[in-house]
Amino acid sequence: MPDSFAVEVKNLSFAYGKDPALKNVSLKIRSGERFGIIGPSGAGKSTLLLHLNGILSGDGEVKIDGLPVTKKSLPEIRRKVGLVFQNPDDQLFNPTVEEDVAFGPLNLGLSRKEAGTRVRETLKQMNLEGFEAKASHHLSYGEQKRVALATVLAMQPEVVAFDEPFSNLDPAMVKHLIEIIESLDATVILVSQQILPVMASCHRLAILKDGQVIRVGTPAELAADRGLLKECGLDVGFFCSICKKLDL
Amino acid sequence: MKHDYLDKYSSLDSVLHNLDPRTKIVCFFSAVIVIVSEPREETTAFLFYYLILIALLLASHIPVPFFLKRCLIASPFILMAALMLPVSFLLGGKSASGNLNIGVFVFSLSILLKAYAAIILLVLLTSTDRFHRLLKGMRRMHLPNILTMMSALMYRYIFIINDERLKTNRARDSRSPGRFQSGRIKVYGNQTAKIFLRSWKRAQTVYQSMLSRGFKGDFPEFFRLQFKLSDGVFAVIMIVCFGVVRVFI
Repeated sequence: MPDSFAVEVKNLSFAYGKDPALKNVSLKIRSGERFGIIGPSGAGKSTLLLHLNGILSGDGEVKIDGLPVTKKSLPEIRRKVGLVFQNPDDQLFNPTVEEDVAFGPLNLGLSRKEAGTRVRETLKQMNLEGFEAKASHHLSYGEQKRVALATVLAMQPEVVAFDEPFSNLDPAMVKHLIEIIESLDATVILVSQQILPVMASCHRLAILKDGQVIRVGTPAELAADRGLLKECGLDVGFFCSICKKLDL
Repeated sequence: MKHDYLDKYSSLDSVLHNLDPRTKIVCFFSAVIVIVSEPREETTAFLFYYLILIALLLASHIPVPFFLKRCLIASPFILMAALMLPVSFLLGGKSASGNLNIGVFVFSLSILLKAYAAIILLVLLTSTDRFHRLLKGMRRMHLPNILTMMSALMYRYIFIINDERLKTNRARDSRSPGRFQSGRIKVYGNQTAKIFLRSWKRAQTVYQSMLSRGFKGDFPEFFRLQFKLSDGVFAVIMIVCFGVVRVFI
C-alpha cells in the first residue's frame, strides 16, 4: 500500500522583499508521522511553517492531505492544519482562556454548545480544568504554552505544527511537552533549533539551512553525521561533553 | 507580563458590576447626554447630578483615588476648554458690557462640571465590566462591527505595546541610572521608535495566529448576554433620578 502524505511541499520558494527565505524546498511528511525541521536561526523554518497553513504563499506547491493550499481551499486548510506559535502570548488574544479555546471551533462554524463541549474536552486533555475564566495574560509561561496548544487542538486538526515549542521551557516542562506531543493523534511537525528534544520525539527530521533542505533522515542517521550537524551549527557534542563531565 | 488597565476593578462584586453591559451603556450614555444638555447658566442641578454620581460611585465599590486619578488625566483638556471661554469672551468683546462678567465664569464652571460628570460616568462604565463584555454589549446593540472589532484589536495591542515598553525600559534602566534626563532625549526617541517597530512585528504575529485559527474579520461570540430584573430596576431608577433633576430642578 502506498504511503499517504499529510503534507507535500514541492519546489517551494519564498522571499521577504528581495531576501530569499526558502529556495526550492521539497518535503513529504507521512500521515501520523512526527516530523522535525531543524536548522540554525534564519534558515527559513518558521517561514516554511506559515506556508502550511496558507498564511504565507510562495512559488511552488503545498498540499495538505492531497488538498492544494490555495485561496479557495483556505478554510479547509486552516481546519486541517493547526499552528502553535513560538510565543504563546502572541496566540492568546481573547479575554479568557475558554473564549480563546472556543475561538477556532466557532470560526469553523460550530455552534456555541458544540464549541463549549470542545473547550471542556480540550482543557481536560491539557490538564487545564478550572482555567476557563482566567485571563490568559495572568497565567504562567508554561500554562500559557498549554493553553496555546489547547486553542489549536480544539479545532481537531489533522496536522499540528509547532514553532519552537521547547524555547524558554524548563527541563521538566520540556519532558511534559514531549509526552503531550507523543500522545497526539495527528501528524506532528516540530520546528526547532533545540535538536535534542526534537530528536527524542520525532520519527524523521529535515535539516534546513539558508532556505534549503540539506538532508532528511531518521534521528539516528542525522546524529551519526556529526560533520553535517557541525556545519549547520546544530552539533550537540558540547552539551554531551558537559553531561559527561558532570556524570549526568 | 501582567497588566490591568480598563479592567482593573472589573472583577469586583457590586450592583453595577452585575448588570448587563447593555444596560450600563444605554443608562450611562443617556446620563451623559442629559447632563451635557443642561443650559449653560445652570449650576444648581449639578449638585443633584453629583449626588447621584457619588451614590453610583459608592455602589460600585471602586476606590475613590482611582476615579480621582482618571479625572486628573483628563484635567488638562477640561481646564483648557473651561479657561478658553473667558479668554475668548475677553478677546472677542462678547460680554454685554465689553468686560468679563460673572455669567462667563458660570459658563466655564458649567463646562467643568459637565466634563467631569461625563468622565466619572465613563470611568464607571469601563471599570464595572470587562472590556470584552462591553464590546459584546455594543455588538449586540448593533453598533458598527468595524468599530467594535477595531476596539477589540486596539485593546489587545495596548498590552503588546506596553509589554514592549516595559522590556525596553528594563533594558535602558539596566544600563543607565533610569531617571528621566532631558539630555538624553535621543535615547527616549530611539526607544519609542523601537517600541513601535517591535509592537508592529508582534502585532503581525498575533494577526497571523488569528488567521491560522480561521479568523474571517469577525470575533465569534461564545457567551450570550442576558437581561435580568435588576437591569430593568436599575434603568428605571436612573431614568427617574436623572429625569427628575433635568425636568424639575
